[in-house]
Amino acid sequence: MDQEEALDSLRKMAERAGLKLSEDELQRLLPGVNRSKKQATELRELVAAGDEPASTFDLATSSRK
Amino acid sequence: MEPSEICYLTIAETAAALRRKEISPIEITNTLLNRIEAIDGKLHSFITLTADLARQQARQAEQELRSGTDRGLLHGIPIALKDLYMTKGIRTTCHSAVLENWVPAIDATTFTKLREAGAILLGKLGMHEFAFGGPSIDAPFPAVRNPWNIDHIPGGSSSGSGAALAAGLCYGALGSDTGGSIRTPSSHCGIVGIKPTYGRVSRYGVVPLSWSLDHAGPMARSVEDCAILLQAIAGFDAKDAASANVPVPNFHKGLKDGIKGLRVGVPRSGWFDENLGIDPKTETVFNQALDALKSLGAIVTDIDGKPFSLARKANQTILACEAYAYHEKTFQETPMKFGTSVRRRMLEGAFLSAADYLTAQRARAVLNEAIRAHFSHVDVFAVPGAPRPPEAFATMDPNEQNLRPSFTNPFNLTGLPAISVPSGSTEGNLPAGLQIVAPPFAETTALRLAYAYEQATEWHKRRPVL
Repeated sequence: MDQEEALDSLRKMAERAGLKLSEDELQRLLPGVNRSKKQATELRELVAAGDEPASTFDLATSSRK
Repeated sequence: MEPSEICYLTIAETAAALRRKEISPIEITNTLLNRIEAIDGKLHSFITLTADLARQQARQAEQELRSGTDRGLLHGIPIALKDLYMTKGIRTTCHSAVLENWVPAIDATTFTKLREAGAILLGKLGMHEFAFGGPSIDAPFPAVRNPWNIDHIPGGSSSGSGAALAAGLCYGALGSDTGGSIRTPSSHCGIVGIKPTYGRVSRYGVVPLSWSLDHAGPMARSVEDCAILLQAIAGFDAKDAASANVPVPNFHKGLKDGIKGLRVGVPRSGWFDENLGIDPKTETVFNQALDALKSLGAIVTDIDGKPFSLARKANQTILACEAYAYHEKTFQETPMKFGTSVRRRMLEGAFLSAADYLTAQRARAVLNEAIRAHFSHVDVFAVPGAPRPPEAFATMDPNEQNLRPSFTNPFNLTGLPAISVPSGSTEGNLPAGLQIVAPPFAETTALRLAYAYEQATEWHKRRPVL
């Protein structure tokens, strides 16, 4: 994905998330967002089909205090 | 006793001096308030001073101690709180324009416990905005400076806690730690800080950054003082959904038992050389600390560092998602109230997917198991408190933290207890810390090793020139 496409995708995601971000701010955010997405992708290599999330629902502690 | 001596007493020394009636709670409170007035203008460690309350609490402590009511070692001891601990009727800002004038209606459980133990509140301390990002250079309050060199950062996010202790402005403080926010300023400011096991200390009334990674904990000028503070604040709290209902040991007991035969694992390979790697002088200081541990009878061995290195990715993904989720409404309505640094970092969470978040939580389970498996053949891990000396404000690089290994955030991901203790000086005489990490709920082991190291060295006795 080139820079323009990446920015357009970011702009659409921001709109969907209810965020009003300037073009300048979107450009500043892009490297960090790309790094975050890359990290999240790399994490997929660590998990196997049977691995559950660390936080799982616990009925014993589910009542609101 | 001279004011300069009073300011740098430890909690244990002050408690003993109070009971010998060599000093009084009123005298030490006034001495510290005078020192804050004299020097904090260049450090900015305090956001809000609670001088009237402190004097009132000091008078009460003095009367109680005189009449034989002794609430324990924190009775009459002046402390301060990172400004994300809620304090009923006292402004709690999180160093942010978003909460600039917010006055909570409740006290954090930890503050309630400290108050009941007779501690005196001097005020609320500066921090990185909402405990995230870097020093808050465009927040309504100035960024905290490092007492060892005010051109340098004190580390964060509990920056005011680290700076105030190093400068002799309070005897103990509470910080919070989501990726290293107690241990990094402890290392950079030459003080001691412990991030207890996840669930050991209540987070109720602590403004969240990331629910599943946040830890509350004490910072002080000695290991013994950290043990005293931890004793006061530890324990199950039904108001905190993550609180662990486990017995609280005596953190003081066994502190002086020595470390002969204790097995120390160093996860160097596959971690310390990540990206730019550890700063060479910082690594030399760390190796000297390991030599000191060996001379005390510890058995030091290398262990695989790869799972520790991978932990950063999961930690940062979870943190960004949870932090953004907490602040989403404010980002939608008044985004410009956040400072540049925290806005940039938190907004990354808006663009990660639910699958990204859950994958990070699944990776967390995998890495947690891999890291904890090392405890089958070592008793503790030893790593540096920080990968490099504190940066200068003028040359700060916001991406720097991703270019070097993070020696702190694997222990937020795993929830393991970790303590940083002064271990020498790096470039420009700036402090460095040794970090000791123990198995879940084995804070006593981490404290014992840190105490043995502290007592065998002189680093904790160094003071900045102010």
